[in-house]
Amino acid sequence: MNRLAVVASLLVLAVGAARADTVLVLNSDEASYSVLSRSTRTERIRLPVGREPHHLVFSPDGKEVVIGSTVTNELLILDAQTGEKRRVVRDIVDPYHLGFSPDGKWLVTTAYRLDHVDFYHADSFKLVNRVFIDGLPSHLVFDAESKTVFVTLQETGRVAAFDMETQAIKWNVTVGKAPAGIIMLPDNNRLLVALTGQDNVVVLDPKDGKVTTSLKTGRGAHNFWPKGDGRHWFLSNRVENTVSLLDTQEMKVVGTIKVPGGPDCMDLTPDGKELWVTQRFLRRIAVVDLAQMKVVTSIPVGKSPHGVMMLNAPAPPAATPPVRAVSSSGGKK
Amino acid sequence: MRDLIDIWVTCQTWIFETFVVPVLFRFELMEWYEPGFKAVEIVMLGVVQILVIALGMRFFERRWPLEKAPDDNLASVDRTYTILNKLGIVPLAVFAVSYPITNEIEYVVRALGYAPPRLEQIVPWLHDNALASFLLYFVLYDFAAYWLHRAQHGFSWWWALHSLHHSQRQVTVWNDDRNHVVDDLLMTLALAVFSQFVGVQPDDYILILMIGRLIESWSHANVDVSFGRIGERLIVGPRFHRLHHALASPAERHIHDHNFAPVFPIWDILFGTAIYDGKHRPTGVDDPVADADNGRGWIGQQVTVLGRFLKALVPRPMRGPFQPGLRPPAE
Repeated sequence: MNRLAVVASLLVLAVGAARADTVLVLNSDEASYSVLSRSTRTERIRLPVGREPHHLVFSPDGKEVVIGSTVTNELLILDAQTGEKRRVVRDIVDPYHLGFSPDGKWLVTTAYRLDHVDFYHADSFKLVNRVFIDGLPSHLVFDAESKTVFVTLQETGRVAAFDMETQAIKWNVTVGKAPAGIIMLPDNNRLLVALTGQDNVVVLDPKDGKVTTSLKTGRGAHNFWPKGDGRHWFLSNRVENTVSLLDTQEMKVVGTIKVPGGPDCMDLTPDGKELWVTQRFLRRIAVVDLAQMKVVTSIPVGKSPHGVMMLNAPAPPAATPPVRAVSSSGGKK
Repeated sequence: MRDLIDIWVTCQTWIFETFVVPVLFRFELMEWYEPGFKAVEIVMLGVVQILVIALGMRFFERRWPLEKAPDDNLASVDRTYTILNKLGIVPLAVFAVSYPITNEIEYVVRALGYAPPRLEQIVPWLHDNALASFLLYFVLYDFAAYWLHRAQHGFSWWWALHSLHHSQRQVTVWNDDRNHVVDDLLMTLALAVFSQFVGVQPDDYILILMIGRLIESWSHANVDVSFGRIGERLIVGPRFHRLHHALASPAERHIHDHNFAPVFPIWDILFGTAIYDGKHRPTGVDDPVADADNGRGWIGQQVTVLGRFLKALVPRPMRGPFQPGLRPPAE
């Protein structure tokens, strides 16, 4: 009996560890997302998700993961600890990129294909306003006070700022060719915009969108991910096939990592030692060892992997019954 | 399997980064970066399709020809059509014209607050079953293609274009792509709008086209092959579709107005246009004006048929009761 209890405890611990170990990757040219094990660096299972998922975010309370399914006009909501499917929210039109405002009140989505920016109540997912805007609205970011959301417009080379209270456009300025990724630096005074049609990022003043600085990185500068120290950011350069490490204090490139296959979205392992980068063209996700600053392995996933997310859930209390690490609603493709 | 995928995507990436990306980057077209990568795959799949036709399907035609082997000179223009289509050259031109139109339609529809009613919302089970969902959309798409094909035969102006497809003297696997570019454009526009309204996703659409067109190439093959009594009622094969290209006779003046279905014969069965009598009818062209297309090259055929089309657009009272080369609509 004691032996059984020990085995059961070990199983519970193993399941908990497995959950903390999970990585989600959205296969944007498929109707699926991959669930990977960070420790074994393998794809555990591939699960169905609407059609053409591109980006995913944590819900404001951190308990759920929200995936935008662009073609089915839906959000798929997963449990943030297990990656299990919880529910589907319908009538969210073409949610390409999405983000919750820092105050947790708003969900904003960009309809890349259909040229509009949508404002929803974060709690009910009820549409408040839809603003049509030319130029392929791409990525978005909020300011720290949740007063403004900034949206890149890839086709017209512009960035637009929307007032969150009125959803009116505050400014809409030209910044360069094919702007994509956009971040607000911790000082809340500088926006960084990656120019995919060029080889650089630009710094904007969030008050009026004026370009203040430019920094050369690599061709196809595309998307950012924080290193976690508030100062350094990773930037994928899709055409150059590199990831740059930016020092945003000194505004310079302090490191470059070769990542083949059109590197796109990124996430860091909880220990900060590895950067996982989706390789859109190769149908893989690269694991970069940050001590060596090089790709140490590349894990096969689905077609055109785009968004990636580490589930950093802590192990559950021992009393919690084991939870399946994957959903039962569909088999491996 | 993974090794094959790796080889495929490595080739695709190399072609894309070597030939396509420099052009996109130089001409500030980076918003077409992802579509460009997909386009490379379409061309690569086109090469595979050509190989399947040239090596696989042609083997059956050479080994077991149903009708006398075709005149290779007359068939050569059909190979040109196949290459131009399968390698994406004609589709790219058609896309360039149709994309702004279909995009505008979609914007207007969305601005009016309409979102396509995905089947997954009606049948939630489909949400988690990508294969079933794909097959259902394929069937729907084929349903639309069936009625469009009937329209090609039913309207004299559209028949003027479509008669090019029926102008070959001997039907072979190379004939499927023998179409006028305006005909291709009209079909693309109609099917793209239909796909938008029923919610066929772009990637499904490409796959449907790929699989569908390969089946359609095979259905023109100069062989007497069917998929069996049940099978030939599930999937269109050569025995079924070659009847659609049969020579008319006094007893069967409108034999062409049967067996329209591109992939699934169920539409002909349901709507009373199916013939399953097992008879071998010679294929070919029985209209002297359309027959004159033979011997012309790709450009010559395109120009001539465009003339036929423009003539057919002239209102009927102004051009007399009937003009040679324009078959009257089905009785």
